[in-house]
Amino acid sequence: MKTLRKIFSEEIAFVFSCPALLWECIFLYLPLLVLALYSCFEFSAQTNSWVFTLHYYRQVFHSLYFRVILNSLKLAFTATLICFTIAYPVAYFLAIKVQKRFRTFLLFSLILPSWTSLVVQIYAWFFLLEQDGLVSRTLHWIGLIPKSMHLLNNYFSIMVGLVSCFLPFMILPIYVILDKMDPRLLEASADLGADKIETFKRIIFPLSLPGVYTGFLLVFVPVFGEFAIPSLLGGSTYVVWGSLIVDKFLRARDWPFGSALAIIGIMLFVLIILSCVAIRNLVKRLRGVN
Amino acid sequence: MIKDGKNRFSRLIQPVFVGMIYLFLYLPIIVMVLFSFNKSRISVRWEGFSLYWYQKLFQTPEILDALRVSLVVAFFATVLSVVIGTLFVVASVWKKSDYMSWIFYGNILLPEIVMAIGILSIFTFFQIPLGYLSLITGHTIIGLGFVIPVVRARFVELDPILTEASLDLGATYGQTFRKVLFPLLLPSIVASSLLVFTLSLDDFMIAFFCSGPKIQTLSVYVYSMIKGGVDPTINAISAIFLALSSLLILILSYLKVLDLVVSNE
Repeated sequence: MKTLRKIFSEEIAFVFSCPALLWECIFLYLPLLVLALYSCFEFSAQTNSWVFTLHYYRQVFHSLYFRVILNSLKLAFTATLICFTIAYPVAYFLAIKVQKRFRTFLLFSLILPSWTSLVVQIYAWFFLLEQDGLVSRTLHWIGLIPKSMHLLNNYFSIMVGLVSCFLPFMILPIYVILDKMDPRLLEASADLGADKIETFKRIIFPLSLPGVYTGFLLVFVPVFGEFAIPSLLGGSTYVVWGSLIVDKFLRARDWPFGSALAIIGIMLFVLIILSCVAIRNLVKRLRGVN
Repeated sequence: MIKDGKNRFSRLIQPVFVGMIYLFLYLPIIVMVLFSFNKSRISVRWEGFSLYWYQKLFQTPEILDALRVSLVVAFFATVLSVVIGTLFVVASVWKKSDYMSWIFYGNILLPEIVMAIGILSIFTFFQIPLGYLSLITGHTIIGLGFVIPVVRARFVELDPILTEASLDLGATYGQTFRKVLFPLLLPSIVASSLLVFTLSLDDFMIAFFCSGPKIQTLSVYVYSMIKGGVDPTINAISAIFLALSSLLILILSYLKVLDLVVSNE
């Protein structure tokens, strides 16, 4: 912006950008470094100094802990996939099938539940699924489940919690992309002789992919780090990466080991994100060739 | 005729599916709010309308303390992140709009639990006691990730002719900033403030790790109560939480900021 350049000098612009940048570096990136240091240095009483060690990493890889990390990656992936399967038809319906004047209302009511505290949403499911809760009693009354069956504290209840809390974050980005799509493209496709399925496969879905990627990130990232849902809806049956970290940092106070766990989790996680970006670029290039 | 029937079926299946998804999202919340007005102590049997649990809520000092902590933290985190976020946007637009913006990808790409242990470890590393300070710091980080895209989106949209006109009409640069640029940015600043305030109130992860032994926020208090099992008081707190968030989101959707956030992430 030219005018802006007249209002401020270069120095002032630099000063303006400093607080936010410093804040990010000191409280987001520096801590990562601190965690990395915690995880690979050990205080040795003999030499009275800090010694480099990979002991804690070895401990992570040689035990059940690594399997827990893989399990929570799997859990996050499954939850994201379920969210996607449900979200796409909903987003499609909202963006293309619904009349414009209802859209705002439907979208608003979609966002509403996900904007209340996560803890509140979890409690709502807890309340509904517990043994004397409404769902259990109704299902028992119909005769679908025996009285002794628990709906809470298992894989199912964790998944229900995860999907219901994060579903809107998958629907919204897909909706935004579909909503922006030029309707003339669909008409053109129909004019050129494609049926509905063909149009969806070759026009709508490929164009909506950026929304799908965004939704994938918006769901996968928080679900991977989530521990409140597994711990409240899953009881002690299912240990995830997040609850391991809580345990090591807040209860066992085993910070070096906790840091090693965190660093390995982050690395795996970054690897996945990067490979997603790589896949996206590959898809783009392939389509470019076509 | 058969074809007609099939058509009707396939036309119905989508709305029914979407309706079921809405039910899936709303059923737990509605049931929970409904039972917050239940007279019964055993929370799953409906025994009549009462406001007893709300009354009890306001007579429990721990809840009021937790609420106060949540509000104070949300207030300062909002002010801080909006001020330094807006300053950064002004600077980054000055330097071409993508200047250093990659540094804020971390806010979106890192799971919140990593930010939480990060702040915990840096405060412990420098031996600063946990409390208001660590909570506000963490929530400011989260807030920045939202303030910057929202305000920037608005800034980039602005028509440069407006500021040029202001300068042509004899306003000084300072006046142009105060009387033209700032008022035009104001809606996005207000919107992102509300956004950050809601996020901070609702946040659980950072609060759980960084609140320290002395204070606790409302969401951490609720979490520890849920650990103890179903209690109608939690229904009442949750209903209030829900009402607050609904109010804020109503204002946000009025300000048309939500799609801005989504399309920028």
